[in-house]
Amino acid sequence: MTTKNDGGTGCSNLVEAATLMDYWLALLPSTAEDAIEEHLMTCDACGDRLRHVISLSEGLRTLARSGSLMVVISDRFVKHAAETGLRVREYAPARGESIPCTVAADDDMLVARLAVDLTTASHVDLSWCDPRGVEHQRMADIPIDVESGSVICQQSITWGKASPSMTLTARLLAVNEAGEEHLLGEYTFNHTRTIPGPPGWEVS
Amino acid sequence: MYVGLSDADLAPRIADGDSEAEAEMCRRMGPRIRLYGLRHLRSSSAADDLVQQVLLKVIEALRAARLRESDKLAHFVLGTCRMVVVELRRASHRQEALLAKFGSDLIPEPPPMPTLDDRQLARCVQTLKERERSVVVMTFYDEHTAAETARSLGISEANVRVIRHRAVAQLRDCLGVTL
Repeated sequence: MTTKNDGGTGCSNLVEAATLMDYWLALLPSTAEDAIEEHLMTCDACGDRLRHVISLSEGLRTLARSGSLMVVISDRFVKHAAETGLRVREYAPARGESIPCTVAADDDMLVARLAVDLTTASHVDLSWCDPRGVEHQRMADIPIDVESGSVICQQSITWGKASPSMTLTARLLAVNEAGEEHLLGEYTFNHTRTIPGPPGWEVS
Repeated sequence: MYVGLSDADLAPRIADGDSEAEAEMCRRMGPRIRLYGLRHLRSSSAADDLVQQVLLKVIEALRAARLRESDKLAHFVLGTCRMVVVELRRASHRQEALLAKFGSDLIPEPPPMPTLDDRQLARCVQTLKERERSVVVMTFYDEHTAAETARSLGISEANVRVIRHRAVAQLRDCLGVTL
């Protein structure tokens, strides 16, 4: 069991916060889990700390399920989200393709599946640009699975539902150690707002 | 008067029929049992059921002086938790009649769960590096194991653990949560 010294809590054998999180996530081997449980049955200070860990974990789970984060995810994750009842709207443009897209009010998750050959890339950035080529957001050093042949980016569904009709271009860039960029693929999304009501902002 | 007593001091008093000692034991052990229940049953209501059933069994055992080593009270409670969780998973609730009779006496008020500012948490998550955010989202969405997340992102399990630990520590700092 990984522990640290008393932090003024009355516990002489405080369990590390990371270990408590692993315990909550059921990621500890059984012997370590048994030791934690013996300790928690006698230590209210660590019990209180576990409550903070549970609260953070539950907050992250709610956030992860909200679809409101912009994040690179996996094909397996998208399938799992759909299997667990989320309504997933997915667009999968080929390299260089420009496609129409929208978001419905009852969509839970918005996904762009960008086909790309990653066999020569180790460091990849995903850049989001407007039609003038001005970069609005860069996702630096995204996780890539070379064998997958694609990068899957979850766009914030909250953002998508508030968005006016607009065009965005995603650019996948291989970046070498010298900081030089090489375009791996470019994909254009022509978003048409179909949700009634005014958008959250106007296109400048 | 009972607050200063150790867990071991409570057991013989309960065997002597001391109801205040019984109440103090329930007050102490209830929240600990509930945490065990949350971890293994993943449901607040199921954890509350567990608290009731375990305390019922423990009180019965203590009243009958079946706990021979009073300093093993916590260990005995933990063992009872494990047994009851197995029972809960295996069969329907067989102790409904007993709970109907004694249940209302066995609901110690659990400590409140800490609250988080959801918007602040979202802002903190957006400050993570891309790999960290991916690992956090995929880990906590459905409590995926490191192996599943590693397979999905094309990185090693050890790397997933390191990234997750680093990201969670950063999130605690960002939220001002000191553990």
